Amino acid sequence: MPGSASVTTGGDSASPIVFIREIIKRYGANTVLDRCSLAAHEGEILTLLGPSGCGKTTLLRCIAGFIQPDGGAISIDGADMAQMPVNRRPVGVVFQSYALFPHLTVAGNVGYGLRMRGVAKSDIAQRVKAALASVSLSGLDDRYPAQLSGGQQQRVAIARVVVLQPRVLLLDEPFNALDAKLRGSMQVELRHLIKQLGLTALFVTHDQEEAMTLSDRIAVMRAGRIEQLDRPDAIYDRPTTAYVADFIGASNTWYSRVDGGLVRLPDGQTVSTTHSGDVKVMVRPHNLVLHRASSERAGSWSGKLVFRRHVGAMMEYEVQLPDGQAIRAVGLHGDQPVEPSPSESVTLAVRNPAACMVFPAA
Amino acid sequence: MTPTALHGPFIDRLLSGRGIWPAVPAIIVLAIVAVIPFMVLLSLGFSDVVSSRGVIISQEFSLRHLKAALSDSLYWTTFRRSIGLAVTTTLLCMLLGFPVAYLYLIGGKWTRRIILVLTIAPILTSGIVRTYAWIVILGGRGVINTTLMQLGLIDQPVRIINTHWAVLIGMVQIHLPIMILPLIAVMTRHDTRLDEASANLGATRLGTLRHVILPLATPGLGTGAALVFTLSYTTFVVPQLLGGGNYLNAATMVFEQVVYALEWNKGAVTAVILMATCLIGLIGIAALTNLATRWTRAGRS
Repeated sequence: MPGSASVTTGGDSASPIVFIREIIKRYGANTVLDRCSLAAHEGEILTLLGPSGCGKTTLLRCIAGFIQPDGGAISIDGADMAQMPVNRRPVGVVFQSYALFPHLTVAGNVGYGLRMRGVAKSDIAQRVKAALASVSLSGLDDRYPAQLSGGQQQRVAIARVVVLQPRVLLLDEPFNALDAKLRGSMQVELRHLIKQLGLTALFVTHDQEEAMTLSDRIAVMRAGRIEQLDRPDAIYDRPTTAYVADFIGASNTWYSRVDGGLVRLPDGQTVSTTHSGDVKVMVRPHNLVLHRASSERAGSWSGKLVFRRHVGAMMEYEVQLPDGQAIRAVGLHGDQPVEPSPSESVTLAVRNPAACMVFPAA
Repeated sequence: MTPTALHGPFIDRLLSGRGIWPAVPAIIVLAIVAVIPFMVLLSLGFSDVVSSRGVIISQEFSLRHLKAALSDSLYWTTFRRSIGLAVTTTLLCMLLGFPVAYLYLIGGKWTRRIILVLTIAPILTSGIVRTYAWIVILGGRGVINTTLMQLGLIDQPVRIINTHWAVLIGMVQIHLPIMILPLIAVMTRHDTRLDEASANLGATRLGTLRHVILPLATPGLGTGAALVFTLSYTTFVVPQLLGGGNYLNAATMVFEQVVYALEWNKGAVTAVILMATCLIGLIGIAALTNLATRWTRAGRS
């Protein structure tokens, strides 16, 4: 399969700021990046999403220049980066645990890049002040990183790079160091901040929720290449491969055969497909509806409810089919006239057969 | 009576091994080998003893030996020489040791292993053996002179051994590993992402070295300096062997006073001055390290 086949531009016709063409990186016999191509456009937040070892951090480090790729090309703003040393690249990196200089104050950290570029002292003070104000950290100039909360450290790390007005912001799992409670609000805040500053950002994460919250587009990575690149809702609703469908959101999976262009679902409904032969059918939990077996709407696809729980306004169910397979379904709390109780017999139905995902069986 | 009534909290602590008890054996050993001899030293140096046929008749506190020492110009020149030698050795070890530690930091697995072996191996061999090795190298018929003569650069052996330079070379070589080890300890803990961040923010390699690596290694430099200063200020073997018996520093002076002149009181006073000045030197190094740390830490935005 050619490397560029999986890259879609998402309908954006502007020329890309970051353009990556068939990047290869090997460590011994291990190919970490396998002719990986990608284009990021002005002002967008593009997420590299994938499990650990998929090459997402390696790709980010190649763009920053910390490692040299074994093949392919990276250009930023039209300029080829192959011979460009790390300290001259127009990118700002926000590290996984921020890598703030522990021996420098907040002002010292934020002013570091300006100092290295030989900016006049009075200008530095002014620009540091402005940068700290833009991340709402005014007044913390003289603190040391160890005296800051995780969220504040993250904002210092961002201020430290945006003060240099980079063309591209590279963020390597910037929420890993924060506790779960803080993450959600910081994700929204970071998205607002990046948009407000008008920056282009490449963002690495293994957390799909984080990717969904932050991104304009998501590149799902697998084994050193990009499997699908699209808007978050498209990735969720129309995954192009079973791998993406499986990685993004929960799915119920079973195998079937195509008969006359149709796949028969277990509840008797059918889905049309262009595939033929053996196929893998995946359906999201929220596309399944569950009824008590005793109700008159009972259908032919039945099993035993083994577990149910409230998740906020949602009800989550786990149903065990007679063949032993566990099926997950999600509904709104209060949808059921009478909530089925565990070990009760229930029947399942697909709400919208067209939203079922059909892939060739591997 | 119940056992708990018998065991007070004190006994409980003793039996549970908490508090200072686990340290007691070490404290006893230290008291025997360090504190008691030091007391003897003090009493020898700061008292007048009248004895007859080995029997002490009277002993009272006196500053007579200290006054005699302070008014003797030989003391002043000797201590000045000792301090100069120790300070020069310390500075040279810092200057030579830091690049090795930097190489360790940026080096790969094998570079690191080689540096570790080269650093630790000399420590595992006796200082006397290493000093004799320098005699072989620096001597009149030594490796350096023979080579220089064979190359025709000199007609007759240059005097290196038994000079100030021979002592300095030996001192630096013997003490360099002591400087490198604490620096390597610092470098092992060094977070290389800080260097990447520094480069990403526009710093050159030299800039990163100056503004990130050096400031963070300052405590290691301070520790190394304190160790090297203490050891080189009080060393006896190197000046004695490479100085050929005519290089007098504080430690060789104590040796001569006690062993050759049998002047125990003089030797004791010299030793006490040596310890006191060494302590002052250590306090100075600690203060300088603090100052350097604060200087490199200054936010200077």
